Parts: sequence; C-alpha cells; structure tokens
Amino acid sequence: MNALYDAIRTLFVDAAYEGTINFMFSYEFVVNGFLCALIVGPLLGAMGTMVVIKRMAFFSQAVGNAALTGVAIGVILGESYTAPYVSMFSFCILFGLLLNFTRNRTKMSSDTLIGVFLSISLAVGATALLFVSAKVNTHILDTVMFGSILTVNNLDINVLLVTALITAAVALPLYNQMLLASLNPNLAHVRGVNVHFLEYVFVLLITILTVACVKIVGAVLVEALLLIPAAAARNLNTSIRGFVVWSVIFSTFSCVFGVYAPMAYDLPIPSGGAIVLTAAVIFFATLLIRMVMPRFREAAF
Amino acid sequence: MQGPSIEFKNVNLNLGNTQILEDVSFSISPTTIHCIIGSNGGGKTSLIRCMLGQMPHSGDIKIKWGENRTIGYVPQQLEIDKTLPVSVVDFLTMATQRRPAFLGQSKQQAQKISDLLEEFGLTSKRNDKLGSLSGGERQRVVFAQAMVPTPALLVLDEPMTGLDVAGGEVILAAVRKFASDGGTVVWINHDIAQVNKVADKLTYVNKTIVLDGAPLEVLQTGVANKLFPTLSFNESSPDGDSAETTDIEVEGE
Repeated sequence: MNALYDAIRTLFVDAAYEGTINFMFSYEFVVNGFLCALIVGPLLGAMGTMVVIKRMAFFSQAVGNAALTGVAIGVILGESYTAPYVSMFSFCILFGLLLNFTRNRTKMSSDTLIGVFLSISLAVGATALLFVSAKVNTHILDTVMFGSILTVNNLDINVLLVTALITAAVALPLYNQMLLASLNPNLAHVRGVNVHFLEYVFVLLITILTVACVKIVGAVLVEALLLIPAAAARNLNTSIRGFVVWSVIFSTFSCVFGVYAPMAYDLPIPSGGAIVLTAAVIFFATLLIRMVMPRFREAAF
Repeated sequence: MQGPSIEFKNVNLNLGNTQILEDVSFSISPTTIHCIIGSNGGGKTSLIRCMLGQMPHSGDIKIKWGENRTIGYVPQQLEIDKTLPVSVVDFLTMATQRRPAFLGQSKQQAQKISDLLEEFGLTSKRNDKLGSLSGGERQRVVFAQAMVPTPALLVLDEPMTGLDVAGGEVILAAVRKFASDGGTVVWINHDIAQVNKVADKLTYVNKTIVLDGAPLEVLQTGVANKLFPTLSFNESSPDGDSAETTDIEVEGE
C-alpha cells in the first residue's frame, strides 16, 4: 500500500509544482491529510445516519474519551505515544462491549449507563496521565483530544483504510436489519434478525471507527462529525436515501474544506476544529432552509 | 399454502417474582383465525412473545409447519420518532429486502411493494414520512410489511388500535382472505363483537386459560356472561335467512 500512497503523493506534488493545482499540495503531509479526509468523510457521514437513528451519539463521545485513557495506558505499557493503536483499540473495544453487556443485563437507560462508564473511563485516564507525564510531554495528548490530520503517516492511513473496509463490509449488508431493529426490536426478531448480536456489531463498528478517526479529527470531535452531518441531512429529507446521501456529502465536504480552508486562507485553526465548524455551519444553514422554505418543512414534522 | 398448527402445553412464565402465565394449555388449528382475548395485563402479549421465542418460559409450545415457515407479525403500535426520515416505501423496503434501503429496491421488489401499497390503500402515501402518518395509516403500513414474503402464520397484536372504520375494514378483509387461502391467524383482539364475527376459535387468557372454544359456544357460558356483562344475544342471523346462528352485540355499539 505504501507504494500506492507514494504514487498518489508524487502525482499531487508534481501537479502542484507544475501549477495545475494549489501549491499547498507540494507538501506530502497535505496530500496525506486530504486522503484521510476523503476516507473519513463518507464513512462518518454514512455511519452517522445510523448513530442518529439509534440515538447513540453520546456513546461515540464516550468511546472518544475512552481513547484518551487507551493512549495513557499504551504509553505506560511502552507503546509509541504517536500511534498507540493496540492499547486504544483494546481498551475502547473492551469499554464498548462491557457497556453494551451491562446495558442488556440491567435494562438501565443508555444515557445513564454511558454517563457512568464515561466518568469511570475519564477517572482511569486522569489517574494514568499522572504516570504518563513522567514519561512524555502530556501536550502530545492534544493530538488525541483534537486531532492532527496533517501529522498522519502511512500507518495511520492504513489503519483508517482497513477500518473503512471492515465497516463497509459489515454495515452495508446489515444496514436494513439494524434500522429495523432500532425501529421495533420485536418485529425485527420475528423477521429473523438477531437483535442483541446486531447491537454488539454496531457498538464494535462505532468503537473501531471512532478510534481510527481519533488522530484525524480528535477524540473530542469525532462524535461531532458522526452526529452533525447526519443531523443536518435529517433537517432536509423525508427519505432514507436523501438522509444517507446528504449526510455523506455534508460530512465529506466538511472534512475536505476543514483541511483546505485553514491552509488556503492562513487561518490559525486546527484541522479538527475547522472540520467540525464547517459541519456546524452546514447544520445551521439547513435549519434556516427548513424554516424558510415550505417544501422542506415536512422534514421537521 | 398450509398454515401451521400450534400447541401450547403447560406453559408457565415468571418475570421476577410475578407469575405472568400459569399452566396454559390450548391448541390452535391450522388455517383458522384464532383470537386471544383477555383483560389488560392478563398475559396475552407475553403468551404470543413466548410463542415467537422472545421470552424464556417453561412448558412446550409446538408449531407444526408445512413447507412455508414464514411468520408475519403486526405489533400493537409502531412507536417511532416522528422526525425520522424514513418514508413508507423505505420502511417496507428495509423490512423485506437485504440491499440497503438507501440504495433503492430491485425491480421485482419495487413491484411487490407497489402492489402492497395499492392493496392497503397507501399508494398516495408511498413517499410520506412514516412519522407523519396517522396512527391508523401507520398500522396499515405495518400490516402490509407482514404480508411480504407471504407468511404461513400471521400474528396480530391488536392491529386495529387507532384504525378508523375504513382502515379496519381493509385489514379485516386481508385477514379473512389470508385465512381462506390456508394461512393460520393468531390475533390478540379486545373487540369482542369483532371476535365473534371473524374468529373460528377464541381463547380468553387471564394468567391461565379462562375460556377456550368456538365463539358462539364459549360466549354463551356463565363465565362469559360475567366477563362480558354488556353482551346480548340475538337469535337471528344478520342476513335474516336462518335462525340457527346467534349474533352477539355489545350494548352501546
């Protein structure tokens, strides 16, 4: 895959030097950033629709915060502080599975349980950070919290690409079943859907997706990108096709523009923040459209 | 099509310290409309959920299937977020095909769904949001999904809730046609007058079996008189051509 990435980067760098495209693409890290944006955008946009339908936005927020704890544990265990993927994935998957297991067993409401798990995870993370600060400069954790799309390397792109492929391969064939199970679990069960199993599958998908996107958008902001484009698409659509398509478009545009704008206009904004702010502007624009244009009002009722 | 027969034998269900069903035994014959009635909290829906394998219970529930083992299920009500961007066609698509609903339907599936919408008087609503429909219209949509693929067993959990007279007639006609085509219908129903009109057999459940048999026999017993004090019996048929049938009316209807 590295050869493929090199070829793509060379293509862009040459085009930038020839003046065909903006000169910012003469830097390889910029090309890396755009590659990640083009993978992350559609992925989060599509999965975001399911997150909104299943009302799981708070869950992805909790997983994002658990990633911080995963990083701290990884550094303590001797993993590279720039890419502690083993610890992040292990801790977050354990976190997600345990949360879902507890929810199924206790029948407690999701928001209460997620709040409890989120607090525990942050407490463990804060404790672990004390030990981490002795080993590395804790400012490196800013990257985890708010993302640093321009520091991604081939390993990060590989992790992202594999996660994207796994998510697409699993979620596409199960999309209808997940949707039906979230509308009426009993009806879905009669139709042969294994509702509990699908809950675990969905939790796992959101978990690996969140962890894979942490470096691109940041632990704090990845939930926003799962939620805002889908919420914006929901403002304007009455059908599932429009909902998914527009969510993907909004999310991809947010990612690409969020990477492009700070560099093109010399704005002192981190890429993660710019991506989410772009999505937020789109969200408020759709709200305005819905209020002003009668043909979109039906989407609100 | 041959609908299945179902036999409940000594079915017990406990939830925590509460006994929901106690020693329930009765049978449902194939190709019949079997209504299950009873007071609120009497265990009707729990009994159905046991049958569908959704609740752990003791005792035996045996379903003897023919070639077709498909179950069509209509829940009591489809409670959904009204702002959810899921149209009527989306709902039917997601329930009946594997391809993600946002990628549209195959030609064959599109035709089936169009036919269903026409049969249930929903063609003009096909692109409306499910949440924007009235309760009765939504119930018709849910009923329509139960008919694809063609089931052998139709399980209805008070499907008439919220339906107007016209909507009710559409569903009633579909249920009758399904049973006459050989399907088995298990129907939780509160409307005793309607039960008398459509049911081949009824079972009254209140934790255990209180009444079980053909409506005309069962509803004239002393127990039935206590359970349904507002019922009256006319010794004439609705068409007046025979004095052998008994028509049951509910006071005030």
